[in-house]
Amino acid sequence: MAALRTRTRTSVLPRTAAALTATVLLATACGTPPSEQGADSGRPITIGMSLPLTGDFSQPGREAKRGYEIWRDMVNAKGGLLGRKVQLRITDDASNQDTVVADYTRLITQEKVDLVLGTFSSLLNYAASAVAEKNKMLYVEPAGGAENIFNRGFQYLFYAQPATASHQADVFVEWIDSLPPDQRPKTAAFPTQDDPFTRPVIETMQRELEKRGVKTVYETVYPPDTTNFQTIAGAMADKKPDLIAQGAVFEDGVGLVRSLKQLDYNPKLLFQVSAPSNSFQYAKGVGEKNTEGVFYTVSWNERAKTPLNAEFVAEYGKRFDGATPAEDAADAFAAGQVLQAAVQGVGKLDQKAMADWLRSHSVQTILGPLRWDKRGAPQAKFVLAQWQNGRVEIIAPKDRATTTRVVNPKPDWQ
Amino acid sequence: MQFLQAVIIGLLIGGVYALMASGLTLIFGVLRVINIAHGALLVLAATMTWLLWRETGVDPILAAVATTPVMLGLGWLIHRGVITRLPQGSPAMTVLATFGLALIIEGVLNVTVGNIFRSATPDYFAQSFRVGGLALPKPHVYGFAAAVVVLGGLYLVLTRTWTGRAIRATAQNPAGAALVGVSGAGTAALAFAIGTATTGVGGSVLSVLYPFYPASHYDWIARLLGIIVLGGLGSLPGALVGAVVLGLAETLTATYGSLQWSTLVFYIVIMVVLLVRPQGLFGTRLREDALA
Repeated sequence: MAALRTRTRTSVLPRTAAALTATVLLATACGTPPSEQGADSGRPITIGMSLPLTGDFSQPGREAKRGYEIWRDMVNAKGGLLGRKVQLRITDDASNQDTVVADYTRLITQEKVDLVLGTFSSLLNYAASAVAEKNKMLYVEPAGGAENIFNRGFQYLFYAQPATASHQADVFVEWIDSLPPDQRPKTAAFPTQDDPFTRPVIETMQRELEKRGVKTVYETVYPPDTTNFQTIAGAMADKKPDLIAQGAVFEDGVGLVRSLKQLDYNPKLLFQVSAPSNSFQYAKGVGEKNTEGVFYTVSWNERAKTPLNAEFVAEYGKRFDGATPAEDAADAFAAGQVLQAAVQGVGKLDQKAMADWLRSHSVQTILGPLRWDKRGAPQAKFVLAQWQNGRVEIIAPKDRATTTRVVNPKPDWQ
Repeated sequence: MQFLQAVIIGLLIGGVYALMASGLTLIFGVLRVINIAHGALLVLAATMTWLLWRETGVDPILAAVATTPVMLGLGWLIHRGVITRLPQGSPAMTVLATFGLALIIEGVLNVTVGNIFRSATPDYFAQSFRVGGLALPKPHVYGFAAAVVVLGGLYLVLTRTWTGRAIRATAQNPAGAALVGVSGAGTAALAFAIGTATTGVGGSVLSVLYPFYPASHYDWIARLLGIIVLGGLGSLPGALVGAVVLGLAETLTATYGSLQWSTLVFYIVIMVVLLVRPQGLFGTRLREDALA
């Protein structure tokens, strides 16, 4: 414990007062002996997590909470994990990197939770996964696909989505490859938010399309607090690109579509990273008719025929006035499934054995089968989605497609 | 043409920013209170506007006629219930208390209307006026018009009415104003209420121009504080100039450089101005400054 405390203090704590509190808590925790594994069989398994329930990431954070809770209840309804009930210990990190570090430190070292699950956004997972790694706790994260998360040589980190950010749009590039040459875009514009998740998606796509001879006529990176998109839209309208591919988080995606319409520029193909997946909020923000033909890639779809998916969607609807789950809720549910598979695969709560197990096994989730490389980065594919007639259809890959029809080129703004 | 388009959009955006910042600077001018809850009040007003628009179909910008009196009353209540109960002349306390207020408003919105993005989308939300080769987005033009009405109205009230003069007198010299019979407490309450009332119109414009959700207020208060620090804390013309500088900095850097620079350019301008004129562009030096 003493060694652990020193390590924590030297690498993380000097920066923040919030985390300093954690040291104090840690110090107080040192007198208690670690819990004995054998004597626990009647006790519930406690899974700790700190979610952004308030602040900037409160939307995905709250959805993640719903996904985790539905997973917990479905596991408990079938007898729990290793015959023990599962209970969640959820704290709110207010979307703050320092708080998330303090929270996971407290959950692991003071409250001595049996397992942890990851939080939302690359920003928070980057910090939180380091706490888990230091304490040798398996860390399955439902979000956090930024490439730099996987380049730290971590042994206990696994990302429960089909692909990291830089490979999220591979399926769109493959779809373009499948078009007859005269229908492929000749020119493209690549505006992206300076966001650790969306920017790599666009940068990789740009590189791949340039290799295929698509000419980049416009590119720009804008800061997260950008609210006005008329100038970007104007600059793109001047260059008349066939394809506009935007690294949009949410408001910026809505803002750019509005501005393009205000300037009356309609590209043949429009791809946006995350914004169009916030289904009804996106449709309301840009006007439902203007969604027609917009492409995006996504980790999950509510109509996918993956095991347990229909049950998850039905349970979510039952709890929340018939609402369709957000992708973030599904990702959290899948993270729970990955953890569950590791626990059941190993047969006991051995963090190292569970991590080794995940590195050598594939896990069936509602997102489809997931498997990982040695860095914990996933090796599967996102699905390519398109808005058609006010709803979302999956058009690729073929095994998960919900339709064979593709809207191409994009119709005029309404 | 590209330059002209950027300037016009910058001016329209600047006008809207000025409208949103006007109440914040007015309240600081009279009460020396930096109302961190101003952004949250804007988001609250935007949410009320959105609800009115959805339920009745009334034009969201015109809905300000209904939301402004509500915000006026709320401002008076906040002044009465929170501001007057804090130790006088303690900026740390008022900043903390109003920040707490912002969190309460955010929390209440989360619980009552839910934590999702909203925006009012009347027919014109994604249309433009075409003048020559220029595109003037309709929501921005209407928002700018609303800003002119509110800022013009505020200016007239402050310069042409007894109440307005009392507010300005209290801002300049509370003791002197009291000597000639201006009630300090009453004037302060009025200024706080009027300052909050501006978020009625500001919020209605916000609801049409930008998607918002309960936590949007952090972005807005940061932007608005930058504007009024640049213009000079407490100065209404200063807020206008600061807002236009920010609007132009955004559109011109985006046109001729990269948007990544626009925030930086704006804060470099603030730094330079503060180094040369510590009171901001239009700020007046306090008596203590003059003595020092």
